[in-house]
Amino acid sequence: MASVFPFFEWCEKTALFRVISNHESVFPALETIHLFGLVLLLGTTVILCLRLLGVMMAKQPVAELAGELGKYTTSGMALMLSSGALMFVATAVRNYSNTSFWVKMVFLAAALTFHFAYFRKVIRMQDSGMVQRRGKVAAWGALILWFGVALSGRSIGFLG
Amino acid sequence: MYLLEFCKMLDKSAIGTAIRESSLLFPVIEGVHVLALALSVGLILITDLRLMGVVMRKRPVSEVWEQFFPWMMTGFAVMFTTGFLLFWSHAMAAYNSTAFRVKLLLLILSALNAVVYHLTVYRKMDRWDTALVPPAGARTAGWVSLIFWAGIITMGRIMAYTF
Repeated sequence: MASVFPFFEWCEKTALFRVISNHESVFPALETIHLFGLVLLLGTTVILCLRLLGVMMAKQPVAELAGELGKYTTSGMALMLSSGALMFVATAVRNYSNTSFWVKMVFLAAALTFHFAYFRKVIRMQDSGMVQRRGKVAAWGALILWFGVALSGRSIGFLG
Repeated sequence: MYLLEFCKMLDKSAIGTAIRESSLLFPVIEGVHVLALALSVGLILITDLRLMGVVMRKRPVSEVWEQFFPWMMTGFAVMFTTGFLLFWSHAMAAYNSTAFRVKLLLLILSALNAVVYHLTVYRKMDRWDTALVPPAGARTAGWVSLIFWAGIITMGRIMAYTF
């Protein structure tokens, strides 16, 4: 880990860091945007997972629902990643020694990989026996990984 | 003044103190409160967007509503339970917080918005249930709900800074 520390220090020397730390309303605004992104990303993901598990919107084909909600999931992800990156820059050195931050980054890498390499492919398949079986894996995987990201993210400020 | 006495009583109570002083209880309850946003406001958001005629237009509004309702209510049950516990532990700080007062006002207003919607456009739903774009009254209810909930989240985030 020692090799990445200079990057964390460099973040706090940037103009961006100064702008965020010199205006006390910027950080709360970023946190609020982060929450809006959470509602979009996790809200639509939960709907798709409940559909994949067969407990909601059972009459609507999975692929159709995925097509309807896809752009909201993507918008939520864009809001979360951009506001998250800015908050990271503003607290870089503190994050380096924060265990929850590293746990969150591991969950985030796993959740993003799972989302693009598996989840998105399963929800775009036409309904068949194959989708039903893979759908359960996709739903539980996405729920566990995304809620892992959210919970470890929440504990950055509390547990350290 | 009854409100002030009530908040003082909650703040001093054993349960309020226990949650406030526990290094684990408060973060866990708050964490659940934030996560339940996905189920509660997440489902409200898509319902509002359907009422505005921008998403899931191929599905009748009544179908979206019936399918979402039990999950949305589960989400809100979790939100209100955890929210009340958080309030219990910081009742005096909440009483003195402008953001908290605005948040409560917005919650009441969004409940009123839902009541007005149910008493008006919703009654004639059989006429527009399958419409790609619902009538102006329904679209307005969707917009109003969306704006109020964005405000509720913002106020909730701001009030946490005063605790």
